[in-house]
Amino acid sequence: MLFKQVGKKNSEDIPGIGQYEDFHTIDWQRDIARDRMRHRYIVKRKQNSILDTIKGAHDAWSGWLCVLLVGLVTGTVAGIIDIGSSWMSDLKFGICPEAFWLNMEQCCWSSNETSFGGEKGNCSQWRMWSEVLGSSRSGIWAYIVSYVFFIIFALSFASLAAGLVRIFAPYACGSGVPEIKTILSGFIIRGYLGKWTLIIKSIGIMLAVSAGLSLGKEGPMVHIACCIGNILSYLFPKYGRNEAKKREILSAAAAAGVSVAFGAPIGGVLFSLEEVSYYFPLKTLWRSFFCALVAAFLLRSINPFGNEHSVLYYVEYNKPWNFFELIPFVGLGIIGGVIATIFIKSNVYWCRVRKTTKLGQYPVMEVLVITAITAVFSFPNPYTRMSSSQLIYLLFSQCGVSSSDGLCDYVYVNNMTAFKTATSAEAGPGVYRAIWLLILALAFKLVTTIFTFGIKIPCGLFIPSLCLGSITGRIVGIGMQQLAFRYPHLWLFNGECDSSDDCITPGLYAMVGAAAVLGGITRMTVSLVVIMFELTGGVRYIVPLMAAAMASKWVGDALGKQGIYDAHIDLNGYPFLDSKEEFSDTGLAADVMQPKRGESLNVLTQDSMTIYEIEALMKNTEHNGFPVVVSQESQYLVGFVLRRDLMLAIANVKRNHDGYDGNSLVTFTVNPPQLPPHSSPPLKLKKILDMAPITITDQTPMETVIDMFRKLGLRQTLVTHNGRLLGVITKKDVLRYIKQLGNEDPNSILFN
Amino acid sequence: MNILLVLIGIVHVTQGQSYEDARCKCICTVINETQIYKKLYISNVPPNNDCDSIILPPTSGFQINNKTEELCPRCQCKYESRNTTIIKVVVIIVVWVISLLLVYMMFLICLDPLLNNRLRGSNYMEHTNEEVCSLLDDYNGDRHFDESPNHGNSRFSTQMNISTGVSTSATGEGTAVNVLNRVSHHQDKWKRQVREQRKNIYDKHTMLN
Repeated sequence: MLFKQVGKKNSEDIPGIGQYEDFHTIDWQRDIARDRMRHRYIVKRKQNSILDTIKGAHDAWSGWLCVLLVGLVTGTVAGIIDIGSSWMSDLKFGICPEAFWLNMEQCCWSSNETSFGGEKGNCSQWRMWSEVLGSSRSGIWAYIVSYVFFIIFALSFASLAAGLVRIFAPYACGSGVPEIKTILSGFIIRGYLGKWTLIIKSIGIMLAVSAGLSLGKEGPMVHIACCIGNILSYLFPKYGRNEAKKREILSAAAAAGVSVAFGAPIGGVLFSLEEVSYYFPLKTLWRSFFCALVAAFLLRSINPFGNEHSVLYYVEYNKPWNFFELIPFVGLGIIGGVIATIFIKSNVYWCRVRKTTKLGQYPVMEVLVITAITAVFSFPNPYTRMSSSQLIYLLFSQCGVSSSDGLCDYVYVNNMTAFKTATSAEAGPGVYRAIWLLILALAFKLVTTIFTFGIKIPCGLFIPSLCLGSITGRIVGIGMQQLAFRYPHLWLFNGECDSSDDCITPGLYAMVGAAAVLGGITRMTVSLVVIMFELTGGVRYIVPLMAAAMASKWVGDALGKQGIYDAHIDLNGYPFLDSKEEFSDTGLAADVMQPKRGESLNVLTQDSMTIYEIEALMKNTEHNGFPVVVSQESQYLVGFVLRRDLMLAIANVKRNHDGYDGNSLVTFTVNPPQLPPHSSPPLKLKKILDMAPITITDQTPMETVIDMFRKLGLRQTLVTHNGRLLGVITKKDVLRYIKQLGNEDPNSILFN
Repeated sequence: MNILLVLIGIVHVTQGQSYEDARCKCICTVINETQIYKKLYISNVPPNNDCDSIILPPTSGFQINNKTEELCPRCQCKYESRNTTIIKVVVIIVVWVISLLLVYMMFLICLDPLLNNRLRGSNYMEHTNEEVCSLLDDYNGDRHFDESPNHGNSRFSTQMNISTGVSTSATGEGTAVNVLNRVSHHQDKWKRQVREQRKNIYDKHTMLN
């Protein structure tokens, strides 16, 4: 095993050993071995005294305690964000003067004037801005005042968000999911999960959502939860000081993030497993489960929307679906895949433009321009004026008997015997008008989301894509409904629409469409279906959702190869080794390894180099680690030592111990060689030497090498030939090689 | 502080009657000769919390043939609750945090450059030998590990170390200076990190595009 001789005491001798620098990848094997050592040490000490026993017990349960705390804090933060953003969103329209902290719905909560389902804020307690300014609620003047206030509030919220992000925490911008994926795959981005990022992202997402931009808070919620996980893991040195162990907590935190974002704990766990996590053992699964549970419970008890659920667009469905409807559901899946591909391609194109051209120099201006355009064009259309989640709720829900929205303007029939269905399925003029408005809203949302996702404020993608999908779905649903109403005996309907008037529920189509577009954009399948099913609480819609998700994934995969998150990882050049891809080529380890033919390999010898020589070697090279060999002539491998560890050890010795000078020998062996009596004692660095580096032979096929990097989480592997050291393959070499296979620029990888 | 007190005062005064934490929401189906429709009633919760026992007034005022007909709606009542205190506290906290951040942002944008310009000159050692710096910083970072989760690898921390040395040599000055120094070092370090982040994102466009 690695570091067999390294007790806990020894590894603490030199501060900083085991940490990594910014933009470096971690060595999973090394960190896990380090944790195993620590654990063994604690177990060994357990019998010594009661204090040690308590320490052991604390160590054993600290993982569970940590995820409990993460869950509690995540639930609280999510509650604050939900309440804050719903309040600020309504601030665009008016205020509740007697209790300014209440939003439109809560202001009229106990008022009998509340109308049923339809227009909110229709009570006397709630004042529109036009009323506050002294004019009436309706009329052309009131409309203009409302319009102006809407734009002013949107602009000030957005500029505040952009300013906060720019001044305090630039890392808080964007959705964060691609970066979380990269971090969980074993990459260090210092400060990305820090406390300022947490504060600014939480505040920023409230402001951004309230500004009415086409973005959601779900993706950022994952980032926020991971920040919480990271910060709290420092309470437990077992996790805080071990990057590989810390990622177990971060996986659980990501699950909690989705859990509170959608009120879907199981969906969160599956999201963490399917989409973001890289290394996900069963222990992490259970911890994620627990963390998601705690977070969902806490949010539910805060009850931020006053609807007894943790999301605004929770709808309860209980209508059966007919077998023939699978055809339109699959059709929706195909449409969803197409929309998703259009979105991904144009968004990535636009982000590349932003990255490479002058546009990127005006981040705050860009936010303001997009907000202004969004606000100006979204106000006239009632479906874009309301917040996206309210729109989703409206589209998901079924038409009640007295729903006042145009969407539910069905022709009324006089049917005294059946109390349930007072309206027929025949669409009235209001429905046609609503469809036109929805088509406009769809085009508008698609275009604005393409330009919005990637601006420098916190912005998520789930809500806009759910919104696009539910609009499409609702339109298709109404179309099917009218078809069934006009031609009930069509072969398609299989005779199932003969008897009842409403054999088709457009709200269900909206749900399926939402799942399809979201599935196409993120390429999630299992977790998506579970999230959708937890959103609606209806087990019977699993099959339609699965059909749509599958169809959209197929179409999406056929038209473009990556989901949005992978596309953004590629765009930014994050060193993410995708475990989904397969490779079939005939490269060998010898072709990829460093040094290339003709160059020499920089190695350390185990007992014949002085401190001066080593320092000179480190100055002249930029490698992050050096193999240690028996001697320059034989090149037999002894082990591997990291540059950082070596540097720390030498600096430590220089600082704390006298008697060493530049001419002291550095030895990596147990028994130092015999030295002349007058010379300074050799510096023993065996404890920082990795005695068990992973080695392969030069004839190993690259597929195997890539597999090893993916499955073991390696940082580097040593290549040998006939037992002699030949070269090194690092993760960077592997990523470059993969880029080369895909005919892309291998130098685009962000890496140290 | 005063503003906070005033705010709390307003909160107490305006805690009106109409913002209760529980209600009975009744959805009533009204049937008259030609129409079936639903109507919403909201009423106060009776003391026993049983929404089924409340008596709703009969619906009236439906003018059919110039005579008002009285109808007995069938109602389904549901008990609903919310917590206005949580909402109030959360919204006030959010407003406070945003205003604090706003003020601090204004300070950083407007006043800080002025103050810094005066102080600058004596100690700027930004791009020195990187390796030594990062070593020192790592050592330092490890010491402060528990306090600062996101301690960066800001390579420019020689400045910090040097000034720590200065402050420790002047221990006679008392702890207040020390604390002040430490705070300003933390702030400097954080500012350097943010500057680094800004460079990555806004100038070099290497991340988060």
